[in-house]
Amino acid sequence: MSEAAVLGSSQTATSGPGQKSPVRTPAPQSGFAPWKDPSREPIVRFQNVVKRFGDFVAVKDCTLDIYEREFFALLGPSGCGKTTLLRMLAGFEKPTSGRIIVGGQDITDLAPYERPVNMMFQSYALFPHMTVEQNIGYGLKQDAMAKPLIEKRVEEAMTMLELNRFAKRKPHQLSGGQQQRVALARAIAKKPRIVLLDEPLGALDKRLRQQAQFELMRIQETTGTTFIIVTHDQEEAMTVSSRIAVMDHGEFRQVATPGDIYEAPNSRYVANFIGDVNLFEGKVVKVDGNFAEIDWGPGLARFKSLAPEGCTGDQQVWLTLRPEKIRIAFEKPSDASNAVPGKVVDVGYLGSISHYHVELGNGQRVKALRANSARTVERPISWEDNVWLEWPPETGIVVTR
Amino acid sequence: MRRFSWFNATSIALGFAFLYIPILLLVIYSFNESKLVTVWGGWSTKWYGSLLENEGILNAAWVTLRVAIVSSTLATILGTLAAVVLVRMGRFRGRTLFSGLIFAPLVMPEVITGLSMLLLFVALNMDRGFWTVVIAHATFSMCFAAVVVQARLYDFDKSVEEAAMDLGATPVKTFMEVTLPIIAPSVISAWLLSFTLSLDDLVIASFATGPGATTLPMKIYSQVRLGVTPEINAISTIMIGLVTIGVLVASYSTKRASQRQERELKAVDAGAK
Repeated sequence: MSEAAVLGSSQTATSGPGQKSPVRTPAPQSGFAPWKDPSREPIVRFQNVVKRFGDFVAVKDCTLDIYEREFFALLGPSGCGKTTLLRMLAGFEKPTSGRIIVGGQDITDLAPYERPVNMMFQSYALFPHMTVEQNIGYGLKQDAMAKPLIEKRVEEAMTMLELNRFAKRKPHQLSGGQQQRVALARAIAKKPRIVLLDEPLGALDKRLRQQAQFELMRIQETTGTTFIIVTHDQEEAMTVSSRIAVMDHGEFRQVATPGDIYEAPNSRYVANFIGDVNLFEGKVVKVDGNFAEIDWGPGLARFKSLAPEGCTGDQQVWLTLRPEKIRIAFEKPSDASNAVPGKVVDVGYLGSISHYHVELGNGQRVKALRANSARTVERPISWEDNVWLEWPPETGIVVTR
Repeated sequence: MRRFSWFNATSIALGFAFLYIPILLLVIYSFNESKLVTVWGGWSTKWYGSLLENEGILNAAWVTLRVAIVSSTLATILGTLAAVVLVRMGRFRGRTLFSGLIFAPLVMPEVITGLSMLLLFVALNMDRGFWTVVIAHATFSMCFAAVVVQARLYDFDKSVEEAAMDLGATPVKTFMEVTLPIIAPSVISAWLLSFTLSLDDLVIASFATGPGATTLPMKIYSQVRLGVTPEINAISTIMIGLVTIGVLVASYSTKRASQRQERELKAVDAGAK
């Protein structure tokens, strides 16, 4: 597709002079963490925001700080209130109660056209009667900016998104991927303090979506703007964002970096929502320093795992264990803290990795993952094989809800 | 294709004959040489010529044209505003009542509309004439305009308007620069529809008019009572032509607009896939 070619060539365009580095480091490792610094003022603050539509509570008492230059993701299933939250920030919905503060200014009662935010719509919402150029320049025109300056800024935005050769086209003469880029260019052309993205890549196919995700990250980094994205795609949220707020039924379940959300989920809901997970229900019977012993059934060897914070013992808990953290072997490991026997019931070979579904003695099924690092194995694990599953005590996370 | 059936063919022929033979006869007789309407005396266009010398009819035609242009413009503005309120303002209190009130005149007998207009003008002590006819016409054709514009507004992505406001345009600016250009084809068809409705209205105009503001349909009707002259046939033929053109242009522009929109939607879908 021409799309792919255009997006592919964008890599060379960005690594020109003035660019920090052609190699991107993902946000979690970059040391960028303004939310940990109590002296930093947030750029966006939701203060006890509630939104009701008649009897339906779309957003329940949400309080959230978002910092400058963050790429913040609101993630959740449809109807969880994430879009409502975004639309309240843009000014299309008014909170039933609570305040919204942007850059120290209370904007709760401001009209959409008075707010320092711009939005990219799910449907793109391009003006069908205007050319690409006019679409991108529309916001600048509203600011009564001088014409040459508008032209310069439109040119900049078009260059950034490789749209120059489509300048004179109307939206219906563009492909979906091109329309998506016009919508993004229009949202950043005014250089707003915050760019809101409502499921911006939902209409693209998978390949195009992955390229567009990197494009979004590049734009966010080069413009240094705060981006807030609404998505139901957990991979997308993990890829692009510095922090994720996992939402459910109008509430935040966890607000953390993608790494923490994945490696330290605070509940079964979050663990299940992001990636694959094995859940073992049990009871904490003994707490010994940092570690807890979990009884998960009569006659079964107790698990040893990191104790949840404030755990007193005799508490119902769930051990969440990611499939790739489990080692699978024929022999019982000699010095393992956690080892359970089982029988392989399903194998999925994906080339780079293999999935194993293992049935334990009590009938529970456990997913385990193994990277196929060697080309050939003497005796591959197969159906009906009796195997041992083993994991160190610090790999599982124990949650209490 | 379905198989040819004599029953269907006959039905269609009868139906169309019922509708169009009277009109066809009228058009043919407007080219009659003879002064007697019922006797064919060969082809001629002399009645069209003599029309130009008939000041009464020309005056009436001029009044009708002015009334139609002014009233349809008024009706289009009012109807568009009503449609925008009904579609865009969401569920406000009394919305159902309001939309019912807008569309009731569509099914109201013209005699009642006309009579109520007359009573209003008398009560307000207005001199009946050109402007009372304009007001009366604008009132009843506004409902048609509202229906036409409303249909277009319903399948219009609301987020396009939100995008304009998000980019800093006030609601008025959003309407003028984004909404209006997008619904323009339906506004034009609303105007043309109002125009043709005003052009051939007899009943309401008769109630609302006064001395000096006789419209063409009224003139024709009063002349017919004294006996049909071939001149009446000629002017009627011209009116049929005008109305036909108006309706055709209106439906063509609506159809083209909806086709274009469909094409745009298809392009978006294809791009998305």
